[in-house]
Amino acid sequence: MHAQISRRQFLAKGGTAALGVGLGGSLLAGCGGGGSGGGQVTYWSNLEGSGPQAYFKKSIEKPFEKANKGTDLKVTFQPPDEMDRLVRTALQGGEGPDIIMTPGPAYAREYIDANLFAELDEYSKEYGWDDKLLGWAIDLGRYEDKLYAIPYQLQTMLLYYNKTLFEDKGMLPPKDRDELEAMAEEFQGQGITPFAAGIGDDPAAIEWFPTVFWNHYSGPDALYQALTGEIPFSDPVFVDAIELFNNYVQKGWFGGSQEKFFSNGIDALHADLGDGKAGTNVEGSWFLSNIEDFFKDSGDAWDWAPLPPLRSGVPAELYELGIGSTLSVNARAEDAEGAAAFIDYLVADKKRAAEWMAAVPSAFNAPLPFAQSDFPLSMDERVARQLAALSQATNAGNFGYTAWTFWPPKSDLYIQEEMQKVLTGDITAAEFCKGLNEQFTEERKDGAVPKIIKPGGA
Amino acid sequence: MAQGTVKRASAGGLRRRKLLTAWLFMVPLLAINVLVILGPSLATIYYSFTDWSGIGPAEFVGFENYTDLLADGDFWVAMWHNVVWTFLFLTVPIVMGLLGAILLSQIKRFQMIFRVAYFIPYVVASVVNAAIWQNILDPSRGIGSALGSIGIPFLEGVSFFGSETLALPSVAFVNIWAWWGFIVLLFLTALQSVDHDLYEAARMDGAGRWQQFLNVTLPGIRPTFVFVVLLTIINSLLVFDYVYIITRGGPAGASEVVGTLMWKQAFERFEAGYAAAMGLGLSFVSGIIVVIFVFLRRRGWEV
Repeated sequence: MHAQISRRQFLAKGGTAALGVGLGGSLLAGCGGGGSGGGQVTYWSNLEGSGPQAYFKKSIEKPFEKANKGTDLKVTFQPPDEMDRLVRTALQGGEGPDIIMTPGPAYAREYIDANLFAELDEYSKEYGWDDKLLGWAIDLGRYEDKLYAIPYQLQTMLLYYNKTLFEDKGMLPPKDRDELEAMAEEFQGQGITPFAAGIGDDPAAIEWFPTVFWNHYSGPDALYQALTGEIPFSDPVFVDAIELFNNYVQKGWFGGSQEKFFSNGIDALHADLGDGKAGTNVEGSWFLSNIEDFFKDSGDAWDWAPLPPLRSGVPAELYELGIGSTLSVNARAEDAEGAAAFIDYLVADKKRAAEWMAAVPSAFNAPLPFAQSDFPLSMDERVARQLAALSQATNAGNFGYTAWTFWPPKSDLYIQEEMQKVLTGDITAAEFCKGLNEQFTEERKDGAVPKIIKPGGA
Repeated sequence: MAQGTVKRASAGGLRRRKLLTAWLFMVPLLAINVLVILGPSLATIYYSFTDWSGIGPAEFVGFENYTDLLADGDFWVAMWHNVVWTFLFLTVPIVMGLLGAILLSQIKRFQMIFRVAYFIPYVVASVVNAAIWQNILDPSRGIGSALGSIGIPFLEGVSFFGSETLALPSVAFVNIWAWWGFIVLLFLTALQSVDHDLYEAARMDGAGRWQQFLNVTLPGIRPTFVFVVLLTIINSLLVFDYVYIITRGGPAGASEVVGTLMWKQAFERFEAGYAAAMGLGLSFVSGIIVVIFVFLRRRGWEV
């Protein structure tokens, strides 16, 4: 879910036209130098793992301080799942970091309503963020035409697979629903879990699946219409998608069984993929940051493929757009300029970001119009390929929507909680979608839905 | 006469000084209490009448949170789970604790080793206990799978924490495993305070072991027993950690208790005002139990 990170992005060659972003010039980095007012800037990062954290200290924190004499950047690493709660608790006590990270644009609004975020328009002018950052991404941080949050850690959903296992079985990643179902039946027949899956230690992760099925079954056009209020979420096209997912779970394709789906932990399911007990895994691009760890013991190879369309008319190479976090300046920050300078340093320099993205896949995915040539040769080929594919697809308008980015908070929470009840049979897919529509409509009236960008075909 | 007056005045002064000294010792504790208990309690009462989201301003909404609470199906399901939990904890660990304590009291050698062994899970952090049992009960890699591989398949594939019917009792089992050793020690201490002459007298009257247990042991440990019951009920109403760590209330709310539901309201649904009302609802139920306890004491029960 909103978690950690990822994605690299888009807009390879020039385009971005489909997303309304000006690619053009903007290649010059806005080094964070010199903008800081001096003093201490506190930042809570959601980076996990000793390796990435050490890399952050060495390659980001220290160089930033060197480039901004007098600014002392104090970084604290917080668990991604706990970040929002910790930030809220700290803010309630009048404390909190100078740079505030939220789980996504929809969550940022509440902080803005409570006057806890500083306006960033002046900094945007100073650092040229409008020219540098992807237009659709920066628009997600605007509220009532004022900029408060910078989207960060771009993500998408992918189909990871155990390449060695596929080669041993003479199989290829599925390209449509028929192939996907044939693959699942084949694996299950051989005692291999088709999709490593489970929400045992992160029940909110269930939202990945409605996200995937709505995008790849219902399609981005239908989602765009629903998110903009043109059609309801109770439309059969959404109900059918949920029923399809439920059907796959009941067959034991996801996680081995319905009950195991509820109890499998994330490390265990990753291990299953690594040692060939499971064939594939549907997860966000953040998994690129540590997927290698789970293949070390078996020595198997891994790769990824785009999630296939599950219905005719849905684009073959479709990538859901997601924002892993947003960055804002605390309205109480003593050194707001220093905080803005660090955001600029972290987000807006293409060369630096590309280096970091190569060193720690998916953790530093900045919302910048990257071209494949921007990435260093040291970047893992699969990661680079993913970025390139994503760029090409999004340039063509083949993008979808992740629940944690484009649905308002209560609707997103509804999905996380009520989807479980569909799988347990407590409610039907139609009841689930009807309830979602009611919640979404209410939040839409309150203006809680982020700006929805239009996909290519809509 | 004058001397008497001086003596009375002096005695009064002494009493005042003693009182003052006592209050001076009390002040730091009182201040801490006001700061960490009374203050937050009053704040909780205040916020329960607002629509506070957890940050930003709070708007007064009267009794709306309480009326919503009464109509909230999720709350009552969670409250029912607390009742089930309470029932489990009032039976299994108390029976086990009592039995363990009686058995322990019969042995003289190595008693300390058993005491420590029983008590260790209680002092281990709940996250550690939970992780241990999550691994043991994992449907693919746990004990069910291990037994299955040696030809005992009855637990194979059983998902203790992923099943709607098993999740709540399974989490309770893990918590009981950590808790019952503490009960053993409480009962053991109580047993050691029972006058041995009473057992002697009962035996002389022809009482068997069961009659001794019913007529000597139980009355002898009644204050501890009632204390354990009270502690169990209140702890069961407030349960949070094991449920949150292991299932987070799932699957589909099958192990949701009021504590985890309250947490979700405050930190996931951003309805801190409503969560405050929920917390006060729970406190109200706890309060009733404490009142019953006090009432029983006043009625002469040795509790």
